[in-house]
Amino acid sequence: MSVLRPFKASDMFKFNNINLDIWTETYGIGFYLSYLSRWPDLCCVQEAPTGRMMGYVLGKAEGSNAEWHGHVTALTVAPEYRRLSLARRMMALLEMVSDEIYKGFFVDLFVRCTNTVAIDMYEGLGYSVYRRVREYYGSLGIGKGGRDEEDAFDMRKPLSRDPNRRSVRPNGREMIVSAHDV
Amino acid sequence: MSTAALDRQIRPIYDALDTGSNKSAIVACNKLLKKHPKNELVKALKALALVRSQKVEESLVLCDEVLEEKPTSDAVLTAMMHVLRGLGRHNDMVTMFEEAYKQQPTNEELGVQTFFANVRANHWKSAQQIATRMHKQFQEDRYLYWSVISSVLQAKDASTPKTMRTILYKLAHRMITSSPTPPYLNADRFHLHLSILSELELFDEARKLLDSEVGRNICATSLSCNEVRRELWKRQGLVREEGERAEKLIKEKGDRNWLEFLAVLDATFDCLVISPTDVAPTTLEDAKKECATRVQETRVLFTRVAEEDGSKDRSGLLALLELEKRARDHGVSEEPTRLVDLMERYFNEIGDKVCCFEDLKPYTLLGSDEHCRWIAFLERVPSMFSSIDGLRRFINAYKFLRHSLTSSEITADTESARVALYAKKYMEALPLGSDLPTTELQPADDLVLLAGNTFISLWKLTEDDNNLFKAASLLEFALTKSKQSFLVRLMLIRVYRLLGAPSLALEHYRAMHVKQVQHDTLSHLILSRASTFSLAAMGDLTLATECLESTQIYLSNSQETGDFVVRAFTGEKYSQIPQFILFEDRLENSLQRDTVKVEHLRMRLTHEPITSDIIDMELIELKFIFDRTHHDNRDFDILPSYQPRISPNLNELTLLLGRPEGHGWLSTFLQVYIRAFQQSSDLDDTVEEKLLIGDRPKQTADYDRHLSLRERLCEQNEEYLKTLTSDELAFVHYARALADWLEPYHDYTRPPPAAVLAEAAKQTELKTGHPLKGIDIPPNGASHGQKKDEEPPAVRDPPELVVKHFEKLKMRFEEVQSKSPVDVLHVATLAQEAYLLFIIESLRFKPASVVKVNKLGGLVSSFKCIRTGAISVLKEISSELIKRADFEGTSEGPKCFIGLEELDPDFVLGLSKKVIDARKKVFEGVGKGLGRITATYAS
Repeated sequence: MSVLRPFKASDMFKFNNINLDIWTETYGIGFYLSYLSRWPDLCCVQEAPTGRMMGYVLGKAEGSNAEWHGHVTALTVAPEYRRLSLARRMMALLEMVSDEIYKGFFVDLFVRCTNTVAIDMYEGLGYSVYRRVREYYGSLGIGKGGRDEEDAFDMRKPLSRDPNRRSVRPNGREMIVSAHDV
Repeated sequence: MSTAALDRQIRPIYDALDTGSNKSAIVACNKLLKKHPKNELVKALKALALVRSQKVEESLVLCDEVLEEKPTSDAVLTAMMHVLRGLGRHNDMVTMFEEAYKQQPTNEELGVQTFFANVRANHWKSAQQIATRMHKQFQEDRYLYWSVISSVLQAKDASTPKTMRTILYKLAHRMITSSPTPPYLNADRFHLHLSILSELELFDEARKLLDSEVGRNICATSLSCNEVRRELWKRQGLVREEGERAEKLIKEKGDRNWLEFLAVLDATFDCLVISPTDVAPTTLEDAKKECATRVQETRVLFTRVAEEDGSKDRSGLLALLELEKRARDHGVSEEPTRLVDLMERYFNEIGDKVCCFEDLKPYTLLGSDEHCRWIAFLERVPSMFSSIDGLRRFINAYKFLRHSLTSSEITADTESARVALYAKKYMEALPLGSDLPTTELQPADDLVLLAGNTFISLWKLTEDDNNLFKAASLLEFALTKSKQSFLVRLMLIRVYRLLGAPSLALEHYRAMHVKQVQHDTLSHLILSRASTFSLAAMGDLTLATECLESTQIYLSNSQETGDFVVRAFTGEKYSQIPQFILFEDRLENSLQRDTVKVEHLRMRLTHEPITSDIIDMELIELKFIFDRTHHDNRDFDILPSYQPRISPNLNELTLLLGRPEGHGWLSTFLQVYIRAFQQSSDLDDTVEEKLLIGDRPKQTADYDRHLSLRERLCEQNEEYLKTLTSDELAFVHYARALADWLEPYHDYTRPPPAAVLAEAAKQTELKTGHPLKGIDIPPNGASHGQKKDEEPPAVRDPPELVVKHFEKLKMRFEEVQSKSPVDVLHVATLAQEAYLLFIIESLRFKPASVVKVNKLGGLVSSFKCIRTGAISVLKEISSELIKRADFEGTSEGPKCFIGLEELDPDFVLGLSKKVIDARKKVFEGVGKGLGRITATYAS
């Protein structure tokens, strides 16, 4: 039970309960405004009936030719609203818009290799690992999780324009590229 | 030299500018200007480098020279655009582009730039005219849409009279319907078209667009278009149709957007929403019957959804609750136990989710039987928990139980018992999360937050600071277990400020990594009434720096947001443009921004020598602020309040000094300082007008335009004054009395505008080597010491309020000794502020020559009395504070803090030392600062 609505510039005044969590970065206002000024239909918010923000997604459309796709830049849910399938609904919207409006071949996203909860969820939504990007999250340095902590999986899900599933591959976890190549 | 060669020489200037080496850019420009003294581009680039190195006056000269040439070259215009933006001269930018476009009317790029210049300056009317012209000339659709949205924005602009609005929307409508291409081409054009139709209530036309297949498709894929459609249908009263549409989506598409459920609910009760005047009793009965049937049908729908989804999605269950609640409100519910049945069911299904409490809260206002049943149900929730899910259920039950406490149940004893229980349960629950990585939040955190809330309630009931300390110790302990809990930190920040330990509050604030736009919404946590804790008087600028850092975001806003408005135009994202403008405005005119500005000013005056320079500069800034309508963007909802429904919430309970800061506080302090600065300053309006660089900010404040500034400064708003603490109120009364008393002498002594301007021109010329533009200096410039025709105003004795103020402060200071450290510091810093205000007000009468010429010897001698009295009081306060700081450090100090039994005594002792040190630091710092001020302004 939540309201799904477009992300608005003034939501930046309201997103503290989401963004004070350490896993969510707060960027300069230009970051949000640049997404909204180009792909407002790929940015949406889930809101409780009280008007409190629960989570949001920011996405974009990019790439050329067969690489033209929707990309999930940020997907986040406030700690108190986790485990309510909110991410699922926001992803569904983003996929629908990437498919029907942008006519992309697939949707992709990056996720920390250690984040098994998220990887499981994305796999459940039909995503699969396309490649492993080395040192994508370099800023943290090698922590407890070793390489897995700073490497990312690039996960993809084909859309209706790619009926033959050319944008995915079965052995993606073994395909390793460096962060410069993405 | 050939153009190519010149180009080659100019390139390094760009490189220097790009890398921020403004100095070398200036050197390179000077070299080139020797050979090409008339080159516009080099001049423009030099002006830019000068602006960027803060050499505003020199830049102005060059800037004006280039503007006079009416440049048309792309490079010059671009460079000048940056110069003018740096100087805040948006209006000149508009003129520059308009002139250029006039000279080259076929240059499309120039047209676009001219349009954008108007957009940046919010000149919607001219923007609309330019876009229309461009559409005619270049035949591009988007120019038509630019012109349409410009009209809409003009209609939305606060400065547009209401009567004009419809006309502007009609104009927009006429233009948009004249478009040769249909609006379906993209969602944003469609959105714009729909919003205009909605505004003009052209429902049939809107219907036609929406019912078309393309229209339907757009609404199905675009949330923002669907939002306008919803709004349109609602305005048209199509509640039932909307309900049917929503029902279909829920049933067939599995849509679980809560908005669809609300639409079904609204439709269910629509038959009861008839204006009461035309309803005979019988028809009301009929309507109720009809409604009861509908409620049945809707219940079937929601029940099916609830069964299908189970605990996967809570929409169905919550919709059933909302349905029952509304049925009750409308008197069509037949089943008295159903609401609690549903609540219990909801709790059973969703109780293991954190949001259960928030979801059910609106339904917990129950009749007494139901209330008992609900409480009994909650009390049966097992308090033994073996899993995290079980723990969450238990916590939710506790939250509801606390939320529904009645006033007789909230006493010091019961709250003590509760807090002990929460703390015990917290300790018991901790092991459940012991395996979680340190980056995760602990599932037991909410129990600590409940305990923290209860300690704070106890503190209010008992006025015993030890309760705050206990809260702090438990919360600090919780942070060792749950390192990332920002909710725990938020509560600690409030607690430490109340304990008079601001440096500890600041530590936690910094640990939250508040950045960017969050400064606007959250800096109140640390900066509200921060001058109470400021040690700036003795050179510790921690809080003053925090003020400045928190205001960076407003600079980013003014530099960046406009660019994105322009980008949204380029990308034709019309749905975003009004929202970007609103966002920009809310930040630009943020209440917190200007509250921090005033706090910073209060700190600054204790630190920097008070001179006419500071006074003039601050005066101009404060006057701009005074003309603004402020938006309150502060986030208080973020504080985790688990207080009983009937009690004040956590924010209200933990406000520093028990009073909220807000519009009233800001406005009152602005009045005080503007009035004092205005009296002390030589700048009157005519002088200010000539010396001002950049555009005057828009006056957005809503006030009676017949009033003069002086009248507005003297206005007393009782509502506003009520928001001040009693000590602040006394300060304001003192400030008023002081200003009223000294006004005639200031007015008599202040040099005439011509003399002030002459002096300013002289200074500028000394500094830049160029005369000040637009100012004619009379040959025999009037000087300070000139003879006046009229006699000086008779010297009157100072008013009682001024004379007695410091004595009263001394008494008040003794009175608050027994109270919290914050009260002590509040009185002390306000005493200091009162004295500094007196210094500001008497600054003009310092030079002996001024006193002599204006025959104000009598006045000045009464200053001496006030000063001596004030200084002796301040010195006493200062030494008392230092004494108190020493006392805090002695063995008698720490005794007052007793921690919780559950915690390690060493941990508690360590914390109590930290709190005491922090208190000691602030007492000592404020005390010494006061001492320093009495020395600086001893005579």
